[in-house]
Amino acid sequence: MPLDVAPVIRSYETQRTLNPPGIPALAPMPTGETDDTRRIIERFGKDIVAAGLHNGNQVVFVGPAQLKALATFLRDSAELNYETLIDVTSVDRSQLPLDGGVRFQTVYQFRSYSRNQHLTVIADCGTEPGGNGELPHIDSLTGVYRGAEWPEREVYDLMGIRFDGHPDLRRILMPKNWPNHPLQKQAPLGGEEVPFTFTWDDPEFETLGSQILPAESAAPDLPPGMSRQNMVINMGPHHPSTHGVLRLVVEMDGERIVSIDPDLGFLHSGFEKTGENKRYKDFVYYTDRMDYLSAMSNNLGYCLTIEHMLGLEIPERAQVIRVIMAEMQRIASHLFWLATHVLDVSGTGMSLLMYATRERERILDLFEMACGARLTVSYIRIGGVWQDLPDAFIAELKDFLRVMPEKINEYDALITEAPLWQERLTGIGFISAEDALAMGLTGPMLRGSGIDWDLRRDRPYSGYESYEFEVPTSDSGDCYGRFNIRMEEMRQSVRILEQAVGNLPSGLYKSNNRKVALPPRAELDVSMEALIHHFKLMTEGFHVSPGFFYHGIENSKGELGFFVYSDGSAKPYRLHVHGPSFNNLYAIDHISRGEMLSDVVTNIGSIDIVLGEVDR
Amino acid sequence: MDWLQLLVFPAIRALILIFVLLTGFAYLTWYERKLLARFQVRYGPNRAGKFGLLQPAADAVKAFFKEEIIPNHVDKPVYLLAPALALVPALIIWAVIPIAKGTPAIADVNIGFLWILAVAGIESYGIILAGWSSNNNYSLLGALRSSAQMVSYELPLGLFLVSILMLAGSFSLVDLVEGSRQWWEWIWLWLAFPFFFICILAETNRSPFDLPETENELVAGFQTEYGGMKFALFFIAEYVNMISTSAIMATLFFGGWKGPFAEQYIWLGPIYLLIKVLILLFLFIWVRASIGRPRYDQLMKFCWQFMLPLGLVYVSISAVLAVFLK
Repeated sequence: MPLDVAPVIRSYETQRTLNPPGIPALAPMPTGETDDTRRIIERFGKDIVAAGLHNGNQVVFVGPAQLKALATFLRDSAELNYETLIDVTSVDRSQLPLDGGVRFQTVYQFRSYSRNQHLTVIADCGTEPGGNGELPHIDSLTGVYRGAEWPEREVYDLMGIRFDGHPDLRRILMPKNWPNHPLQKQAPLGGEEVPFTFTWDDPEFETLGSQILPAESAAPDLPPGMSRQNMVINMGPHHPSTHGVLRLVVEMDGERIVSIDPDLGFLHSGFEKTGENKRYKDFVYYTDRMDYLSAMSNNLGYCLTIEHMLGLEIPERAQVIRVIMAEMQRIASHLFWLATHVLDVSGTGMSLLMYATRERERILDLFEMACGARLTVSYIRIGGVWQDLPDAFIAELKDFLRVMPEKINEYDALITEAPLWQERLTGIGFISAEDALAMGLTGPMLRGSGIDWDLRRDRPYSGYESYEFEVPTSDSGDCYGRFNIRMEEMRQSVRILEQAVGNLPSGLYKSNNRKVALPPRAELDVSMEALIHHFKLMTEGFHVSPGFFYHGIENSKGELGFFVYSDGSAKPYRLHVHGPSFNNLYAIDHISRGEMLSDVVTNIGSIDIVLGEVDR
Repeated sequence: MDWLQLLVFPAIRALILIFVLLTGFAYLTWYERKLLARFQVRYGPNRAGKFGLLQPAADAVKAFFKEEIIPNHVDKPVYLLAPALALVPALIIWAVIPIAKGTPAIADVNIGFLWILAVAGIESYGIILAGWSSNNNYSLLGALRSSAQMVSYELPLGLFLVSILMLAGSFSLVDLVEGSRQWWEWIWLWLAFPFFFICILAETNRSPFDLPETENELVAGFQTEYGGMKFALFFIAEYVNMISTSAIMATLFFGGWKGPFAEQYIWLGPIYLLIKVLILLFLFIWVRASIGRPRYDQLMKFCWQFMLPLGLVYVSISAVLAVFLK
C-alpha cells in the first residue's frame, strides 16, 4: 500500500541554489577511444550512444534495447572477455539540466581479469506509464551474469527501476511496505513520519510477540520457492553466528540444506543518500561505519576516488602512511575474521578467539596512537592523512612486526594443521571459478577459486606497485582454501609493512593544495590566506568538476568500490558504494545447498561478511 | 533397628552427597571459568570475593531471581519434567562409587557396573524430552543430535566397561578398587583410557562434542526455550555429570581413593579421590580450550567406524588376557 507522505525539504538541500551559474551540470561525454571501445562500436555501430575514456575509465553509453546484447557480447567475445560484472548502480538525473534526456540511467562496471580491463557501461532506462507517473524499466542482466541478481534488486529497491526478466525482483534492503524509493531525488530527506508507526494493520505485525504471549505459534510468510514440506528454520536476525543482524531463512530436509534466502536490510542506514547531501570531505567519517572492521580501507577507497576526480597529487609520505594504515587494517580485519571464524566453527571455548583478538588489540592501539580513535578512525582524508605519525609510532609498529609472524605460526600450529579443523573446512562451501566469476565475487572468495587477481598488484593505487608481495591463491574453491589464503595474506601484509616502514620518506603528510586540504593549524595564526582557505573549505567545501568515476580498492574482504557522479557542486550528486560483503554474501545459497546446518555457519565465516557494509 | 540401617543412614549420606556435589558443581564453574580464562590470556571472574570465589554464589542468586517463563507452545508436563530427568541420573550415579577404604558413597551393591551403564542410559532422556517438548526447531535438532550421539557412544563405552569388568572379575566397584592388579593389567587399562575419555566427552555432551547445544548453529540446542532455574538445572546436570564421570574414570583407571597411607588413614581416601577428579576435570577444560568441534555426521562416523570396532577388538583381547593370564 503506497503511503501518501509529503516530502519535507531540509534547509541543507536548498543550498544547491547557492551554486555559481552553470552548476549543476551534466557529466561530459567520453572522449578518445581504446581497443575495446573500438571493437564495441564496430559490433554495435549506431546503437552505441558514445564510447571512449572518461576520467581514465573506459565508458560506453548504450540505449536500453541493446544493453543485454552488449553484455552478452562483452562476456562472450574472445577479444573482450569481460568475465565478471562487478557492480550495478543507477543515477536519477532529475535535478540536472537534462535537455530531453532520460531521467534514469543504470551504471554497470564490467571487469576482465584475464585482460586486466575495466569498462563502465551506462544505459538509459526506458519508461512506461504506470503508478503516479512514469516507471523506469530496463532489461535484467541476470541471464548473462548471475551475480547481477542482488545489485539489481538493490537498484530496484532504492531507485525504483524495474528489471525485465529478473527472476526475483523484491525489495532487498528496505521493508517491503516502504512507501518510496529513497535514492530518487524527490524522496524526503527526513522529517517524514516513520511508516512503521501507522502500518499496524500490516499482517506482518499480527503475530508479533505471540511466541511468548498466549497465542498460536507464528507462521510467517515463506520466501518464494520454499515449501512447508521441509523444515524451515529462521537463523537470525538474533543468532550467534550471523555476524550481526543478518537473517537467513533456511529450508532444510533433515540436517541437509535445501535452500537459503538471506533477508537483509536490518542495518540499512542510507549511507548513499546521506553522502549525496554532505560535502565531499564530510563523507569520510561515514565510510568508517560501513565496514567497521576495516575503517582505514574504507577511508582510503573513498579518498582515492575523489582525489582522482580532482586530479590531486598526494605527497610521497602520505602515500606510504596510507599503505601502512591499510595493511595494518587488513591484518586487523583478518585477525577478527580468524577469531570469529574459529568461534563459529569450533565453539566458544576455543582459545584462538582471544589470541587473535590480543594481536588485533595491538593494531588498534597503534591506530589510537596515530589518530586517537580505534574503530572509527577517519584518519585518511582527502589530500593525505589527518596528521603526521607520532614519533613513537614507528618503533612500536616495528616491535609489532617483529612479533606478528611468530603469532601467525602459533595460530597455524593450533588450528591449520589440526585434523578436526581440516575436516570441518575441506570440501565445504565449494565454488568453481566459473561460478565465482559469474556471481561477481571478489577478494579471497575469488582467489579461493583459483583466479589470480589482486587490485593492489594488478591495478595498483597509492604506490602499491613499488612493494614486493605475493598474491596467494588456491584451486580448491572450498573454505579451507579461503582460510589458507587469508592466513597467507596476513603474512604478506606484514611483508608490505616491513618494506613501508623501512623506507618511510620524510615530507608532507597531506597535500599542500590549499583549495582541497585544510591548512595546518599553526598557519592560521600568521596567514590571512590560510584563514580564508580554512573558512572556505569549512563552509563551502571544494567543488569537483562534472563527471563520474568508479574506483575500486582491495580491502580485506574483496573489492571495495566507490562510484561518484559529480554535477560540479560541492556535494556528490550520486554516491554509490560497492561493498564486497554484499556481493560475496550472494553466494551463500549456492555454496550451502546440500550441506549441513553446521556448514552454513562455516560458510558465513568463510565469506567474511560485515553487516554494516552489506546493508549500508 | 533394620530400618535405621536401611533407610535413615543412607538418606543422611545421600543428603550429604548431594550437598557436596552441588557445592562441587558451583565451584567447578568457577574452576572452569578461571582455567579457561588462563588458557585464553584473560583473568576470569575476579570481582566477587577474593579471586572471584563468591562468583558461584552470585550466579546462583541470579538464577533464583530470574522470572519463570514457560512459553505457551510447549508441552508443559514434559517440559517441566525434563530438567529434573537430566539432573537426577547425574547425582545418583555416585551411589556406587567408593570414596574410601571399604566405603562406597551410598551402597556397595553387586551390580556397580550395571548401575553405571543403566543410569548413563537414562541421562539422554532429559535432553531428548526437553528438545521434544519445547516445540522449537532448534531444540528439536539439538535433541535429535543428542539422542543419536549418546546412544551411539554408549556402545563403545559399554565395551570398554565390559573389558574392565572381565579383568576385575567382579561387578562391584568397591572390589575393583581394593582388588590387586598386575603391572600388565595397569598398562592394558591405560591404553584404553584416551578412548574411554573420548566416549565420556561425547556422553556428557562436553566440548568438542557439545553438538546438542552448539551455540553457534542451534542457538542453545535443546535448552533454547529454557530460562532461569530450569536452565540452571540443565547446567547443573552437565557439570555434575562431569564430576561423576571424572570420579568413575578415577575409580576405573587410577585406583579411586587409593594413595599413600590411604589404607591406614581412612580420611585420606576422599582427598586422593578429589585430587584425581580435579586432574581429570582439568583435562575436560583443557580439551575445551584447545580442540575445535567436529560436525555432527563426522562425530557419528568416528563412533561407528573407529570407536566401535576398536572397542570390539579391545574386548576380545581383554577376554583372552583374562582367561589365560589371570
